[in-house]
Amino acid sequence: MKPIPKALKALNWLTGGLFLVALYLVLFFAPREAVMGDVQRVFYFHVAAGWVGALAFLVAAVAGILLLIRREHRWDGVALASVEIGVVFTFINIVSGSIWARPIWNTWWTWDPRLVTATIMELIYLAYLMLRQGVEDPDRRARFAAVYSILGFLTVPLTFLSIRIFRTIHPVVVGSGDPTATGAFDMSPRMRVAFFFSLLTFTFVYVTLLWHRLRLYRLSEKLDTLKMKLLS
Amino acid sequence: MMNVLDGPIDTFIYMVLGYGVILGCMAIFAASLALRFRNLRREFEVYKTMEMEEDEGS
Repeated sequence: MKPIPKALKALNWLTGGLFLVALYLVLFFAPREAVMGDVQRVFYFHVAAGWVGALAFLVAAVAGILLLIRREHRWDGVALASVEIGVVFTFINIVSGSIWARPIWNTWWTWDPRLVTATIMELIYLAYLMLRQGVEDPDRRARFAAVYSILGFLTVPLTFLSIRIFRTIHPVVVGSGDPTATGAFDMSPRMRVAFFFSLLTFTFVYVTLLWHRLRLYRLSEKLDTLKMKLLS
Repeated sequence: MMNVLDGPIDTFIYMVLGYGVILGCMAIFAASLALRFRNLRREFEVYKTMEMEEDEGS
């Protein structure tokens, strides 16, 4: 088995460093929000986790399209790896949002369009991971998963736009939103630095995790090939 | 009702809880990747040894 490539080792260190700086920025550099207090700091990683979820599902959809066009099995690995990461980060996004909502909305959960669409998106991609297990033939599984990831991606723009097109209490911090929404706030310059640095850091976290997950996928493929060879 | 004039409400514990969940989930996922990779590599080495033994035997 090949050792970890030098580029991946360097990426590990770079991502780790960026993550520590991002933590410093969100916990110490960004000012405490005037009304919500410290819990507002959850916002930086909450949005960044949601961004990684959307990015991961987009990559899975693109990989699905490439698989259907080129019939190359490796794109199935990219889609699977990306969906797995997307599910984890969407979960982080939903749970951290719920924790923020408890003191601000006075409830852990409400049937708001954003919360509902985000949860539907999460469940659809959880189903993707489960349904894959039900198809044994690798080619059929790859084609099925590709079509599913393309159709499933429809939930991503729906989730993003839900707070812009439906009546909602979820604040829209980036872009124009209802300033009276509970928990809405204007970002100061320092908050913007922490926010955009968090988005950048989480993008690096995504790329790093994707690379590691792809290595796991390739090792699994090699193992399957070896098993088949020994059995035949 | 929240009011700017009252100053920030004390939500420190929720911030700690939020970051605990965020960092905890990320750590668990990273650990699961490392663990799965280690287990697969061990299994791969076992099969590789079997393959070598088979090649030597034939």
